[in-house]
Amino acid sequence: MNVYLLQVVNGIGIGMLYFLLAVGLSIIFGLLRFVNFAHGAFYLLGAYFCYQAVQWGMDFWLTLAVVPPLVGVLAWAAERLLLRRVYDKPHEFHILVTVGLALVLQEAVIIAWGPLGSNVATPDALQGVVMWGSFIYPKYRLFVIAFTAVFAVLLWWLLEGTRLGSAVRAGSESTEMVTLLGINVYRVFGLVFALGAATAALAGVLAAPIRGVEPFMALEALGVAFVIVVVGGMGSFGGALIGGLLIGVVQSVMSTLWPEGARLMIYVAMAAVLLLRPHGLLGRG
Amino acid sequence: MTAPTDREPILHAQGIVKRYGRFTALAGVDLRVMPGTVHSVIGPNGAGKTTLFHTLTGTVPVSEGRIVFAGHDVTGEPDYLRVRRGIARSFQVTSLFANLPVRENLRLAVQGAQPQGAFDMWHEPGRRAAVNELVDAILARLALQSRADVPAAALSHGQQRRLEVGMAIAARPKAIFLDEPTSGMGVDDLDAMKSLIRGLATDHTVVLIEHNMGIVMDISDTITVMQQGRVLVEGPPAAIRDDERVRAAYLGNMITGGRQ
Amino acid sequence: MRALQRHGGLLLALAVVALLPATLSSGTLATEVLVYSLAVLGCNLLLGYTGLLSFGQGIFFGMGSYALGILMTRAGLPLPASVLAATAIGALTAAAVGWFAIRQRGTYFVMLTLAFAQLFYFLAYSLPQWTGGDNGLLDIPRPPLSLFGLAEFPLDTPWRFYALVAVCFLAVFWLLERVTASVFGRTLLAIRENEARARAIGYDTNLFKLAAFALSGAVTGLAGAFHALMTGIAPLSNIEYHASEMILVMTVIGGTGNLFASVLGAAFYVLAADWLSTLWPRWLMLLGFLLVAVSLYMHQGLWGLLQRAWQAATRAKTADPSQEQA
Repeated sequence: MNVYLLQVVNGIGIGMLYFLLAVGLSIIFGLLRFVNFAHGAFYLLGAYFCYQAVQWGMDFWLTLAVVPPLVGVLAWAAERLLLRRVYDKPHEFHILVTVGLALVLQEAVIIAWGPLGSNVATPDALQGVVMWGSFIYPKYRLFVIAFTAVFAVLLWWLLEGTRLGSAVRAGSESTEMVTLLGINVYRVFGLVFALGAATAALAGVLAAPIRGVEPFMALEALGVAFVIVVVGGMGSFGGALIGGLLIGVVQSVMSTLWPEGARLMIYVAMAAVLLLRPHGLLGRG
Repeated sequence: MTAPTDREPILHAQGIVKRYGRFTALAGVDLRVMPGTVHSVIGPNGAGKTTLFHTLTGTVPVSEGRIVFAGHDVTGEPDYLRVRRGIARSFQVTSLFANLPVRENLRLAVQGAQPQGAFDMWHEPGRRAAVNELVDAILARLALQSRADVPAAALSHGQQRRLEVGMAIAARPKAIFLDEPTSGMGVDDLDAMKSLIRGLATDHTVVLIEHNMGIVMDISDTITVMQQGRVLVEGPPAAIRDDERVRAAYLGNMITGGRQ
Repeated sequence: MRALQRHGGLLLALAVVALLPATLSSGTLATEVLVYSLAVLGCNLLLGYTGLLSFGQGIFFGMGSYALGILMTRAGLPLPASVLAATAIGALTAAAVGWFAIRQRGTYFVMLTLAFAQLFYFLAYSLPQWTGGDNGLLDIPRPPLSLFGLAEFPLDTPWRFYALVAVCFLAVFWLLERVTASVFGRTLLAIRENEARARAIGYDTNLFKLAAFALSGAVTGLAGAFHALMTGIAPLSNIEYHASEMILVMTVIGGTGNLFASVLGAAFYVLAADWLSTLWPRWLMLLGFLLVAVSLYMHQGLWGLLQRAWQAATRAKTADPSQEQA
């Protein structure tokens, strides 16, 4: 099978995970107007909770359904207890409080599971490959692509078609107006933060069987999420999708040509976008 | 009809257009301000008065048009360069160094007219007598001597509005642009501000945005009326007061006050 | 009394320099406190005085280390020249990064510094012929300090090297005190307070920010150079995101209100790391909690805490009713 075709399909798979990772961060930025440095930590929690669940013999489908909302609840608590107290403070402290939170969560993970990584077994039903003519590809990765695509549609519907979604989009324009309309903006903030964290955790759960778990995946994920959000456009759902796929495919193809260069390139892209078109490909200009 | 002046305008803005995305705030404004005069810009909300100020003082760049000040084409120059040309402004929404003392606010404004000196990384400020004297003089003019060492945020609203004007005076400009200096002021502070602005007219060209018609009619030499991003009419106070178009623009008889 | 107020920071710094040998047994640890104090001072110059939150300080720290390492091991430059050159390279790198980064404000600025930090890291990683890649630059010598060929000061023991770093540290601290109290320093504060106002009264704020970056880069590059001399290596970790993050954390925890707060922040981190990491390897979690606490309740950091304690103590004394009043 063509090596490049394989890498492109891999890239799409990675890209969909990147989308999941980035869309939460993007929405949080769009509404709450600051960058959540704890985002990678929620991804980490998702991955490690998945690992633990598998260790306990929990059914993978149950894990998929339970872990992201669990992380969402944790994030919601963090927003209520911590973030809500810094909204009126200088913007440096919004960022710094999430940096602190990220540190605490990462160290907590290492305390609970140790500093070394582990593998996570692919669920039985999704082991093995799919064969379609000369196209051979791992079943699990195809599942990830399909599942994420369905989830993306659901998320899009949530943002565009529901009252919550309208509140979120309106809140991104003007929190003042939304308050005047009688909507409790702070409750929306909490929900959005939880939603963002839950999608990151979902990405973590899905990624765990592919790349295993280890504590430093949080930092790596954070870096990539930042790049995608910047390139795609902060606050844009479509931007997270296109950005994620773009970065995923480019990175995947580059990894066969020039591995170190791949990661260098994406940060060059991030800097370039910030300088030339800071609102990214699809962000509001 | 007044006789045409044979002096050159100190400020000549031609065809000023300012667009924000698809919204056109200024749709082609011409303005000529004569030196040593008080030139008021009035108009209903949304007319584009503050936007016009932003383009004239360099706070925002123009989308189209040309601005000549004291013989220099300043169209492409940002705000900090125009200060050196002799343009200074106050803001409609109070914008001071809130946590710094009043005296420091003014010192910074005085130094800003010669910003190269601000790269001095060795000497503390306050050593140059000329600067200190100027700051003291402005404090006296603003009647803020007793509040000199207090943070700007601790001043009353009226005192802050006066300090806003003081920040513009400190640059010793040729032309001062005051954006609604009396906004939010109570009756007691109004008289002080009025005499302050009147005092300015002797040494500077004053361009004024104001909603308080009492002041506008009383002290202006020329009034430009704006509406929806364009100049509606321009002329001396008496002509403006009687102009039908201006009345219609303001939807009523809001143009009262001043000497009859 | 006024002289005491004006130079209070320097006196405190002097006290720290004297206290470290008296209380610590490791010369290397004492040197580490001063090295990171310099890095934090560099970061504070941007954050506390200019209002710029930079996630890129590790870039200049790492560049300083690499520059010193390369110049001493490959170009055979003497120690003073290498240290000065590393400082200059730190300044130049910061000017370049700053020139790009200040094109944006607020969150976009922060993200830009982050992007550059990652960029430089991967650049360092993928140029092992210059940086030693994963291994870093090794065997950086520490020859005796020779001034104009006249006297020779051996630097072979940790405490002798500490003496050199201490002298340089105090000199830099004194210089920064002058700079922050100067017309330039006050202009930076004004820019931090209200940038739009600063521009409206005639200051080219971008130029001032750039100068602040260059100054910050110089001090941070110097710190990196000393770090390389202290450890004998210029590792990849000096230019990694974690380094930038920790320098920033030290700055915030120490406090951004004045220069000595930076020394407090660095000392706290270095000593806590040394002491706690043997007790509990996951001590970074405490740091995380502290950062959250500072963000919520203690914006002036440890310095602010000490200040409030001092004020409470002196208030308690003057509240004594047995005191006579004139």
